[in-house]
Amino acid sequence: MRVKDGVLKYGFVGPALIFLIAFNIFPLFYNIYLSFTDAELSGGATQLIGGRNYGVIFDDTRYSTALRTTGLFVVLAVATELILGFALALALQKPFWGKPVITTILLVPMMLSPAVMGLYWNFILNGHYGVVNQALSVFGLFQPQWLTDPDLKLFSILMIDIWMWTPFMMLIALAGLNAIPNHLYEAAAIDRASRWTIFRRITLPLCSPLLFLAVLLRTTDALKQFDLVMAVTGPNDRATQTLSALLYQVMFRGYKIGLGSSYSIVILLIVIALASIFIRYIASIQAKQGRESA
Amino acid sequence: MPFLELQNLQKTYPDGTRAVRGIDLQVDKGEFIVLLGPSGCGKTTTLRMIAGLEDPTGGQITLDNQNVTHLPPSQRDIGFVFQFYALYPHMTVQKNIAFPLENIGTSPADIEAALNRVARALGVEALLDQYPRQLSGGDQQRVSLARAMVRTPDIYLMDEPLGTLDAEHRLELRAFIRRQQLSLSITAIYVTHDQEEAMSLADRIVVMDGGKIRQIGSPSEIYNHPADLFVANFVGSPGMNLLNGQLVQHGDSLTFTRPDSDIHIPIHANIAPMRSVLTQRHEDTKTQSSMASKQVVLGMRPEFIRPANRGIPGDVILSEYQGSHGYVHIDTPIGELVMRSTDRFAIGEKIHLHLNETHIRLFDPDTGTALA
Repeated sequence: MRVKDGVLKYGFVGPALIFLIAFNIFPLFYNIYLSFTDAELSGGATQLIGGRNYGVIFDDTRYSTALRTTGLFVVLAVATELILGFALALALQKPFWGKPVITTILLVPMMLSPAVMGLYWNFILNGHYGVVNQALSVFGLFQPQWLTDPDLKLFSILMIDIWMWTPFMMLIALAGLNAIPNHLYEAAAIDRASRWTIFRRITLPLCSPLLFLAVLLRTTDALKQFDLVMAVTGPNDRATQTLSALLYQVMFRGYKIGLGSSYSIVILLIVIALASIFIRYIASIQAKQGRESA
Repeated sequence: MPFLELQNLQKTYPDGTRAVRGIDLQVDKGEFIVLLGPSGCGKTTTLRMIAGLEDPTGGQITLDNQNVTHLPPSQRDIGFVFQFYALYPHMTVQKNIAFPLENIGTSPADIEAALNRVARALGVEALLDQYPRQLSGGDQQRVSLARAMVRTPDIYLMDEPLGTLDAEHRLELRAFIRRQQLSLSITAIYVTHDQEEAMSLADRIVVMDGGKIRQIGSPSEIYNHPADLFVANFVGSPGMNLLNGQLVQHGDSLTFTRPDSDIHIPIHANIAPMRSVLTQRHEDTKTQSSMASKQVVLGMRPEFIRPANRGIPGDVILSEYQGSHGYVHIDTPIGELVMRSTDRFAIGEKIHLHLNETHIRLFDPDTGTALA
């Protein structure tokens, strides 16, 4: 039996296309539609109410707090992960005894499920029976209430996120470091560059496009921070409520589908805006170095 | 005191590979030395040890009266030109060239002056604001040379700098390197596997093979008096004709022959010391024969063979035309010979060959070394 090329073509592309429309394109546009309605999960007639939901968002103090919490979380988490990850990558750059084992161990946190890790850390950091405070008590040290002290909660979640995602930064940074040809270091040694000069003028600039990519991936991911918050404090804790947690609270605890949809659109716009700035920046660096743009 | 001295220099890699097996070399100030050899002969490793990019596992390197054997590259005063340029991809040509000066704290005004000087000398003035990837291979190597020449180090080390360039740029840069070296009295060590490049650049050539030096000498010494079979074959394009046979003494005359042929090539008196070699051998083996003989390899450059009315008969089996001259491969009863000739011959043509006796070289087939 012969199948015409045209038919075959659609046969191959079709399933993926249908999947994309059903699970990406349609939900996106339906979400945009919902954000302009007063839809509620409890039912009742749905009415178009124009931009009123967006007005509610910008008047809601929960929103401004969540925005600030998320911003703080993203900046601190990504910056710390970048610095620690890059430092680890530099330490792992040269071969030494036991390097493969150490590298594998360092990568473990990244491979575990965030929700499960959140629950584990919940135990580890528990103020009464947690391992951390037990250890501190042995030395007679002050035992902070990691999970209940409003000033510490966000910091605790931040620590867990850093613990989980530093290996990711390290992995990308290692790839970046390994991509720098050894003869450039040799040339720099001949040119009498100091170690600091080599780091500042060879290693860092040649590694930076990949580092920016890692920062981009981590930033967009951290902006959506939800699972750790959910597992450690729950979604409705004022001290740790990120945008995603607020969205969850509004939509699935308050049943306000319309309002929740508009929250999700706002988050999406923030992510897209940040991502496009990063991508342009990476492309401009690469263009400067005469590389093909990504 | 030589300016640079290598004493029993050795490099054995952790996996047991003995890349360099004891090199002795003395280089005078202002000399242009070429390390020549096939890939894997240890020439690049030797150069990298002189630069400090590889740590020797034995021996000593003395540069300008200082033992630099285990010093890092930054504490030796050297310039290095890499085969694959090794330009910093994220810096403009200008930044690349200025980099070595910035690292030693040269003032901006002096950097500017030095930059302009080398950029003009190497013809890269128009490229200063470009990035390495925007340049052709030839231009990248010019920039790399400029970067090495912007300082005035004790010694320049070049690792097959022209190896990746096309023929046109290669000849041009080759001539440039030699002119610069001569006019500035630069001491240079240059690594190549291209014997033509070695011939045209070197004051002295160091032929290497298997991690050892086979011969050190001027290009003409290397070409006309190769120390062994390896050098004879490796240097010259094509290499020396090498024929296995016997050296036979009849009274006062010496001839080269093969048992399976009736061709006798008279050996000229300039190889008279051969007689002593022959007699020694004769006594050693206590041969009672009245006729002394010895297995030898006869070497003859293609340009010292010419067609004649009589002599060694042969059939033309291949004719390579190269413009001003050509190489003719001839099958003869004593083996295949390559003749350089300005005449052209047809395949299958029967000719006679005459060998210029004064240019015959003889080698020991067992040790490969030149006899007498």
